[in-house]
Amino acid sequence: MDFDFSDEQYMLRDSVRDFLQKDCTPAEVRRIWEDDTGRSPERWKKLGEMGVLGLTIPEADGGAGMDEVDLVLLLEEAGRNLLPEPLLEHTAVGAPLLARAGSEAQKAEWLPRATTGQATISIGLAGQPYVQDATADVVIIEENGELHAATQDRLSLTPLKSVDGARRLFKVTAELDDATRMSSANGQAQWAFDHASAATAAELVGVADAMLQRTIAYAKEREQFGRKIGSFQGIQHKLAETFLLVESAKSAVYYAAYALARGLDDAPIHVSVAKAYAGDAERRANYEALQIHGGIGFTWEHDLHLWLKRGRALEAQYGDSDWHRRRIADWVYAAG
Amino acid sequence: MDFELSAEDAAFRDEIKTWLEEHRDRIDETSRETAEYGGKALELHRAWEKELYNGGWAGVAWPKEHGGRDASLFQQAIFTEEYVRANAPDRINRLGLGLIGPTLMVYGNEVQKKDHLARILTCDEIWCQGFSEPGAGSDLAALRTRAIRDGDDFVINGQKVWTSQASYSDWIFLLVRTDTEAPKHEGITFILVDMKSPGIEVRPMVQINGKAGFAETFFTDVRVPASNVVDKVNNGWKVAMATLGFERGTGLGSPVVFNRQWKQLVELTRETPRYDGVAADDPDIRRRIAQGFIETRVFELTSKRVLSQLSKGKSLGPEASLSKLYWSEMEARMAELELDTLGPRAELATGSPDGGEWYSQYLYARASTIYAGTSEVQKNIIAQRVLGLPKE
Repeated sequence: MDFDFSDEQYMLRDSVRDFLQKDCTPAEVRRIWEDDTGRSPERWKKLGEMGVLGLTIPEADGGAGMDEVDLVLLLEEAGRNLLPEPLLEHTAVGAPLLARAGSEAQKAEWLPRATTGQATISIGLAGQPYVQDATADVVIIEENGELHAATQDRLSLTPLKSVDGARRLFKVTAELDDATRMSSANGQAQWAFDHASAATAAELVGVADAMLQRTIAYAKEREQFGRKIGSFQGIQHKLAETFLLVESAKSAVYYAAYALARGLDDAPIHVSVAKAYAGDAERRANYEALQIHGGIGFTWEHDLHLWLKRGRALEAQYGDSDWHRRRIADWVYAAG
Repeated sequence: MDFELSAEDAAFRDEIKTWLEEHRDRIDETSRETAEYGGKALELHRAWEKELYNGGWAGVAWPKEHGGRDASLFQQAIFTEEYVRANAPDRINRLGLGLIGPTLMVYGNEVQKKDHLARILTCDEIWCQGFSEPGAGSDLAALRTRAIRDGDDFVINGQKVWTSQASYSDWIFLLVRTDTEAPKHEGITFILVDMKSPGIEVRPMVQINGKAGFAETFFTDVRVPASNVVDKVNNGWKVAMATLGFERGTGLGSPVVFNRQWKQLVELTRETPRYDGVAADDPDIRRRIAQGFIETRVFELTSKRVLSQLSKGKSLGPEASLSKLYWSEMEARMAELELDTLGPRAELATGSPDGGEWYSQYLYARASTIYAGTSEVQKNIIAQRVLGLPKE
């Protein structure tokens, strides 16, 4: 029994954190907001070189063959540092899904290049009104319960503008047929949804933690009535409650990764626990961060809104907290 | 990351499970009785504690040198899990085993350890706690019970309150003021007092659930040997903080208790009529049941995460407040849902499926955000000592 990460897992987390803190600063995120493509090929390539992009691709297909537990801390860092590039779509879902459900030809064509970042894989699952990073080389599309791996020649894209300028969303129509079809047996679409949900929960924890830490730092330096506002009990209690929520959310998110990695039968329920709890924790952090920053946090010039908007967008992805509560309730009452 | 039990821990689980099964009749006989009622009931509970001792289960967490089992943190958690699952009797010497025992191991002198530790383990000494006073609740350091040195003794005068189990305890560990000039935290002494000492009067108080549980304890010229002081005179605040750390850390709030409570709650929603159906049909009730599952699950997971870190040598400091705050607030929310499920039946003390029992559980839950440090005090601790925010 050991509910903790290994030294190697922490080391990988630290190296990704160090890289993103230098490379993916708030100023860089603002540049991305204004950029036409909204993406940094250099950063994507570097993440490939660091072994991050191919982390979950099987070794036989050229990847590192690691699992959800190895990845979860990196997704948290992606959230913390507002990574614009599609680590979630590509590494948490798209690439390992192609490895599971793709034809031999599809795997051979795309997975080695997905490992280095020369190729990008995104996902468009059922029920989503848009696809993030639909400009990817391959978009795995769920339609009528089936999965298809569609390349750009099969897609027509209409850009949609997100409130979070780093999220690049597209309305997608696709020409799908036998040539694009992937194996949909063994609940692959369900697998994809649960992995996307769990990965979103991990990013939410990172976003929430970043907002909380920035707000704690601000409360220690901002003075009103001749004292630091962090000395007021009204502020202290908000921050203590939010901290408890965010720390607790980490337990749920890490266990969901474990349940997926081990293929536990009730993994979807643990995913729902994680997504519901992380969504609620982030919402609280989001609310208190702006409340405690006050007027300055409401300005475009202050960086806080970059996190506020990312967090608010992620709350709604792959089932919001209420959706996941409903899934849990149905499971509870279906049993015995 | 691995949630499988080691072979050693699995064997430990089998051992305690088997032992509890072998004692099924004793468990049922004892659990029916409440120690607070004294007499035969109390004797049954004492005898049960002796039985645990004879089986080697009295001090699972205690080191071997003091007669304990020296079980790992995971094994302690396993023991609690199985103990609760078996519906085994409430531990009547919880304060002895969980608070003063560990405190004496750290701060007691050799004589004090020899005099008390073995007798706590065998339940020959049941202990109660004398910290709070009418004027010193959350602001514990405002305590005023006086101890004045007189020869080899201290003479104690004052009043303690909310003394749980006072009516049948053999000993009390007490915080007293020994220096009225010093800053309030620096004039406090931690001292051990025999409850049979002349001048101690226990007045039981009836709680809002109608039951006896705690008491007021009055001290009038109570003479206590100075050798009963733990650590040094005027150094009692430091000792007391260690004791409270034990209380908030592992002594209370076991995940298995809440998991069981949640399962009972699910059954209640299936059985309780509501509008044209049962409560389990109501989308709002279902949503809150799901939230209860989420919260109990997350509590269990966080407890395991903390145990994993502790077992690698990280020490638990003010972070214990996070756990206390979490489970007490969760318990209160679950109890609210119990009453909401029962609806108008909740207020019926009798004549409902078991409205009275649920209501009683609800009232206990209302106490949990108050005892062992109120939620507000826990938030202050988290803000100032974990997050490093400045003091007021």
